[in-house]
Amino acid sequence: MIDEKLMLKSIGMGTYDDLFSDIPEKLRANMDIGKPLSEQELIEKIKRISKKNVNKVRFLGNGIYDRYIPHLVDEIISRSEFLTSYTPYQPEISQGILNALFEYQSIISDLTGMDVTNSSMYDGFTSLGEAVRMAYRINGKNEILIPGNIYKSKYEIIKNYVNGLNVKFIQYSFNKNGLLNLDDLSSKINENTSSIIIENPNSFGLIDENAMRVKEIKKSAITITYYDPISLGILEPPGEYDTDIAVAEGQQLGIHMNVGGPLLGLFSFKKDYVHKSPGRLIGLSNDKNNNKAFVMTLQAREQHIRRAKAMSNICSNQALLAVAATAYLSILGESGLRNIASITVNKSKKLRENMKSIGINTVFDGINFSDNLFHFDKIDILKSKEISGGVKLSDLTYINDIPDASFFSVTEKTSDDDINYLVKSLGGF
Amino acid sequence: MYKQAHYDEDFLIDYNTGSDYILDGEKCDLPENIKRKSLKLPNLRSFDVSRHYTKLSEMNYSVDIGMYPLGSCTMKYNPKYNDYIASMEIFTDVHPLDYEENIQGSLEIMYNLQEYLKLISGMDFVTLQPSAGAHGEFTGILIVRKYFEMRNELNHRNEIIIPDSAHGTNPASAAMVGFNVIEVPSDENGLINLDALESVVSDHTAAFMITNPNTLGIFDDNILKIAEIMHKNGALLYYDGANFNAILGITTPGIMGFDIVHFNLHKTFATPHGGGGPGSGPIAVKSFLKDFLPVPVISKKEEKYFLDYSIKNTIGKVSSYYGSFAILLRAYSYILKNGNDLRKNTEKAVLNSNYMAGQLRNYYNIPYKKLKKHEFVLSTENTGKRALDISKYILDFGIHSPTTYFPLIVKEAMMIEPTESSTKKEIDLYIEVMKRAASMDDETLKNSPVNTSVGRIDEVKAARNLILHW
Repeated sequence: MIDEKLMLKSIGMGTYDDLFSDIPEKLRANMDIGKPLSEQELIEKIKRISKKNVNKVRFLGNGIYDRYIPHLVDEIISRSEFLTSYTPYQPEISQGILNALFEYQSIISDLTGMDVTNSSMYDGFTSLGEAVRMAYRINGKNEILIPGNIYKSKYEIIKNYVNGLNVKFIQYSFNKNGLLNLDDLSSKINENTSSIIIENPNSFGLIDENAMRVKEIKKSAITITYYDPISLGILEPPGEYDTDIAVAEGQQLGIHMNVGGPLLGLFSFKKDYVHKSPGRLIGLSNDKNNNKAFVMTLQAREQHIRRAKAMSNICSNQALLAVAATAYLSILGESGLRNIASITVNKSKKLRENMKSIGINTVFDGINFSDNLFHFDKIDILKSKEISGGVKLSDLTYINDIPDASFFSVTEKTSDDDINYLVKSLGGF
Repeated sequence: MYKQAHYDEDFLIDYNTGSDYILDGEKCDLPENIKRKSLKLPNLRSFDVSRHYTKLSEMNYSVDIGMYPLGSCTMKYNPKYNDYIASMEIFTDVHPLDYEENIQGSLEIMYNLQEYLKLISGMDFVTLQPSAGAHGEFTGILIVRKYFEMRNELNHRNEIIIPDSAHGTNPASAAMVGFNVIEVPSDENGLINLDALESVVSDHTAAFMITNPNTLGIFDDNILKIAEIMHKNGALLYYDGANFNAILGITTPGIMGFDIVHFNLHKTFATPHGGGGPGSGPIAVKSFLKDFLPVPVISKKEEKYFLDYSIKNTIGKVSSYYGSFAILLRAYSYILKNGNDLRKNTEKAVLNSNYMAGQLRNYYNIPYKKLKKHEFVLSTENTGKRALDISKYILDFGIHSPTTYFPLIVKEAMMIEPTESSTKKEIDLYIEVMKRAASMDDETLKNSPVNTSVGRIDEVKAARNLILHW
């Protein structure tokens, strides 16, 4: 209190009101935000609200997955030296986060087989939007080929991201096995094609070997592969099938679901495109004493320098979650990641076999990763048995001609008991 | 004496102490043509991962260590009760596609935050979806575009006006949505030059994006006149909420005549910034724009909360799901905890800024009007020193430097925002360091910093000889 009086006096002011004499009376607001609470009152109130969340046996996925997160991951990103730091604008005093983000770029490049990864984007879907914009900057062409089974939410976001560009979308189809139709896609690629969005696993949840063959037909188009980072424990990575830009949702890499946010956009590309890329890049250099030292580099692409001509408007990204992803992958190591991916495929297989045994069939026969599509539409039964699942294909995508198609998803956390309970619950109907 | 740790720390990939992660191995049958041939990930013990990050953390500055007066970045104390709340499993372990009846608690938090943000901004409707401030701007400008599209005016309304003192995200966001950016100069007081503004406003104008107080920390009391100029012309007024910490509880963008506002929850509402993010950038609009908001918003009917997709002319989605919940939850609990004391935070923040400006005025040129809000801008030009060198010198005292070389209209600029979290003692030390820097010999300045993990870094080399991978 005394300090404040001294400070006011030193600037020739008597009261706090004097500090706001430049805000005219008619602009003054009168609001009641409420009585301040003690910490105890706050926690009690929040806990009361939290009890309205209930957790059931879950078979949910389609982009967000309940995977096991080693405690060390949370411990690392809770360290206040990382948690309460800002963007490393002064690199000499911020080497810790810069080093950690450089390692993130490296580990995601290794995982995907791509040359360069930026230091994170908001989420998977907005990364797709930024990738389409980047492709347009590279080749200036105006046709974008998208999968006919793309999620509505992804498509809406991409459309918003290209709102100011002169481009059009052309859908390509899927064959009777639910895999990318190479003939149809091939017939739609021409000299106006800017980019081709490929998904693997695709939106039906299938590991799509045809997605890996688009390189044979792409001509000069830019391929944008939307992948599942956990699946790369066992699947050929996007870099191995000549992907130009690889993007994904990184939530599975040690980040809690949190009802869908904050998430982590993984964004990688071939090195020739680095000057056209969005987002922050951390580069390795040295200080004047020849110590290894990291800085944000190629900032001339970014909004604070280039303003209206910037590659993107992105400023804050998901740095802390990029650190979580790096820690997660480092704790797991190669065999850990491979095992989690293998278990996921096997659980999916087990789920499909068990469902089949009670007469609930898959829509497509193929190899699924986490998401499995069944002919099933009895959501009420699920709810009565306290099971969450059965997300409808027609809610997620524009496909309406398989009205009873719905998803059940698994992770390595899905137990045999969970699957047995699901099958038992549905078996009598 | 401050001395930051320095370790010659290996990369994770170079440890090779052997992974101790246990998970029973399984094989799965995959055709050879789709199988991964080789995968190289770090191979080390969990203990080494822990040590690695502990060492890195000691080489990182944070607001929990000391003052972090980056102008327009509002680095205030991040209360720890928020981190506790945001780590509760009952919130973290919630899937976005679960049935609404299973996630009522999370939806209620988001609904309540929407209500608070309406109150605090004086606006009518809120979306929590944008992931950061710049993403909020992008969303706001998409709404501007949709509004004129529905009015069949998009063909000619293709310009967005921005002051020359604006944050870089403003022109970048406007351009991303396809608008041409028109810059207006500031007047001799650092405010919007009304004549210049009137001369560029036309039937091509879609919106004017500003922040008030502006990036010089000066409140523009012509704001109602500015709003009138825009509205009379059929254009919209956009509020960049980066500087909200100057006005919270005192006035609102709603009262000032703004049509669209974005918030930076990690600035105004004390959520941690995590070394660059995640942030969170909700936006609020006046009721005539509610039909364009992204879907879903959180609505309430008979005590049940639900994901409301019923917005008529929605711009669609801008984020994968509903927003950065773990950040939204922290902002909500911060507002709930502080209540009407939020206004006191604003007062303290403005006092700290004016006190600091008042003391530094004797050593540096602080241009424009004397009364500042939450931040101020000084120029080091009168000292003959470069802002860059002074910013490096400051680091040696275990305090973070201000934003430098911004706004662009002040030469050798340093933009300083102490926030309400700084004590007089801390500020006095900062002033002392700045005072010394003003008369420090060039040799010392050029050689600084010496007490940080590393010395001055060769940034040109980093860009010329790009190394982005270990």
